[in-house]
Amino acid sequence: MILSETLTKRAAPYLACLGLLLVWQCASLGLNNDSFPTAVEAIRAIPSILGDKESLINFAASLRRMAIGFGLAVVISIPLGLMMGRSRAVASFFNPLLMVIYPVPKAALMPIIMLWLGVGDIAKTLVIFLGVSLPVIYHSFEGAKAVEEKMLWSGAAMGLSAPQRLRRIVLPAALPEILTGCRTGLVLALITMITSEMIARQSGAGNILFNALDMGQYDTVFAMIIIIGAMGIGFDALFERMRARLVRWSEQQLDIPLSFS
Amino acid sequence: MIEIDHVWKVFQTSARQDHLALSDISLAIEDGAFVSILGPSGCGKSTLLYIVGGFVQPSRGSARMKGKAITGPGPDRGPVFQEFALFPWKSVLGNVMYGPRQQGMKYADAEAQSRALIEMVGLKGFEDFYPKELSGGMKQRVALARTLAYHPEVLLMDEPFGALDAHTRTRLQNDLLNIWERDRKTVLFVTHSVEEAVFLSDKVVMMSRSPGRIRQIVDIDLPRPRRRTELLLDPRYQRYVVDIERLFDDGSEAELER
Amino acid sequence: MKVRAVATDLLLGLVPIALLVGLWQALVSFGYAPVALLPPPGQVFSRLLQQLLTDTFRQEIASTLLRLFAGFSIAVVLGVSVGVAAAVSPAISAVVRPIVGVLAPLPKVALYPALLLLVGFGHESKIMLVTADALFPILLSSYYGASTVEQKLIWSAMAAGTPPHQILFKVVLPAAAPSILTGCRIGLVISCIVVFLAEMITSTDGLGHVLVTAARTFQAVDMFVPLITISLLGLILNGLLEALRSYLLRGFLESDTRF
Repeated sequence: MILSETLTKRAAPYLACLGLLLVWQCASLGLNNDSFPTAVEAIRAIPSILGDKESLINFAASLRRMAIGFGLAVVISIPLGLMMGRSRAVASFFNPLLMVIYPVPKAALMPIIMLWLGVGDIAKTLVIFLGVSLPVIYHSFEGAKAVEEKMLWSGAAMGLSAPQRLRRIVLPAALPEILTGCRTGLVLALITMITSEMIARQSGAGNILFNALDMGQYDTVFAMIIIIGAMGIGFDALFERMRARLVRWSEQQLDIPLSFS
Repeated sequence: MIEIDHVWKVFQTSARQDHLALSDISLAIEDGAFVSILGPSGCGKSTLLYIVGGFVQPSRGSARMKGKAITGPGPDRGPVFQEFALFPWKSVLGNVMYGPRQQGMKYADAEAQSRALIEMVGLKGFEDFYPKELSGGMKQRVALARTLAYHPEVLLMDEPFGALDAHTRTRLQNDLLNIWERDRKTVLFVTHSVEEAVFLSDKVVMMSRSPGRIRQIVDIDLPRPRRRTELLLDPRYQRYVVDIERLFDDGSEAELER
Repeated sequence: MKVRAVATDLLLGLVPIALLVGLWQALVSFGYAPVALLPPPGQVFSRLLQQLLTDTFRQEIASTLLRLFAGFSIAVVLGVSVGVAAAVSPAISAVVRPIVGVLAPLPKVALYPALLLLVGFGHESKIMLVTADALFPILLSSYYGASTVEQKLIWSAMAAGTPPHQILFKVVLPAAAPSILTGCRIGLVISCIVVFLAEMITSTDGLGHVLVTAARTFQAVDMFVPLITISLLGLILNGLLEALRSYLLRGFLESDTRF
């Protein structure tokens, strides 16, 4: 009895995927539209995409940009957020700026950034960087703010200086919240990457997608959707594993994250 | 008024083990009696109250109110919880008016009645305040007024003063008795404080540690109305408290020896 | 006293905007940015006003707003009903949770080409994309809000005589309201972003399209105008939603989430 319960829990996401694919299959067969290939047809197109050298170069470029953008954002945003969380002065300085940037669609800045920095990697990486920074700053900020005063007092009594307290008490204590922010950032990185590639087509997965659309290769279009979807789910699952391991000691937080667009 | 007939309650814990909370409880509560259920933490006294309230179903046995089986909650048995459980999106007046309105009373009548009740519990002037603006003691007064508003025949009080500081608690105990004196409803009052139980009740039902069983029922023969200042110096009150505490200590020692 | 509080909040909210505009102007005036790439704010705003007087621009705004509202409204209706249903019924939850868990990290924008193929290049594809993206935060926060309702609140209402079928509307929904409205706020921001992006990717009209067209002709000023417009629209809509939220939740426990 117990075995089957945990088994169904772990199988649930796979079952959900299967269910969705099934719905797709039936819908496409039912609608019988040329531009709506069945799930099976789309899946069959995947190997040819993954085998094509050109596509792989595109994918590599995408992933590289995503990694750099995400990495830079995390390295800069976490300390910034932590400092904002513990120092009112720092917070008041950056808060207004961030509040204004928040509603602006980062990927929409693409054309403007392209105007300034050309159509290369830098533009796209910058957009990813901006997109990831905000949630990470916000969550680091919130996490740092919520650290119990008494913990810091204990640290001060032990002789830790302010920057030491930030690094050795605030950072670990805020880590669960920070990692939640990173998870959101990861999702955003993928989305911003795809979107920026759809807007400024040069290279990348988004580019492959729209090229296929333009050339009427509908199987490829849907196959790419599956691949990108798998990437999204895969990254998220991997990150979640890592996060759970790192913050094993913390209390359970909201189990499904509030994923942003 | 209330008959509890060989009630057992088993809970399934998250570790998939069975926890026996109540073991063969039989109890009769007369109309108009103030009965306390007294016991240490975890003895199932709240569970017993919830069964009478119809919020929890017994695993075996039955609870009956005026002869009819209790199958669910209802306005004849009004709860007052330790956590207050006020509706945070409604003002004090809104909370107190909820029950009567639910029962179909006209707005004007419900409002008038509620205002009178709010005054009776000592919160006149606070009708438009929201729960988050009130202190613990005030919230509990609202909770009491809210329950009284729909005229239950039985008041089910689950350690209502447990979350309050000592001073507020004694004040509310006095106020509760004053209010109760007016119409002498049947009250089932759960507590872990011996003094509270003796001070308030006509009868104290002592429960053992988990699994909860009734160890003894003590009739409290003290005159009413009861004044705290008088009672604290009354040797009969002191006797009751000491005896009941001793009964608890003896019991727990016996259990430790086991 | 309340009016003054609102006024000070409004003023405080304007300060960052004023600062940003000031920074912008400074960058231009001090020559850090060439005018061709970063036109001065004065120029942009006057162009914006100029555009607002034209019918064509107003129609673009109307298109964008239509898609925004349609997508957002559908997302709210679906998200709240499914989220609350999943919180209340374990059966529904068992089905919904894994599906949401799979779909949530999926970049919905990747579905956009599929939507274009299925329903064409008009309003529908954009509305559907907005719905797809705004749905999840609303659904998740509705689920969270409804599932964390204190049991004792429900018991109190039941004891007061509320029949089970009314508990949902009289207790669960009001108690979950703060969470639901937070989710709606997030959903609204996402809707603004997504509609704009979708219009940038492929469209024949709308604010995003205006930006892309201007980009093709390297008209910097004309590129900033739609961007500022959507940001302003976003701020206004957000403000309206906040006002609605304050009204609905007056007196309720609120957590101060700035930013």
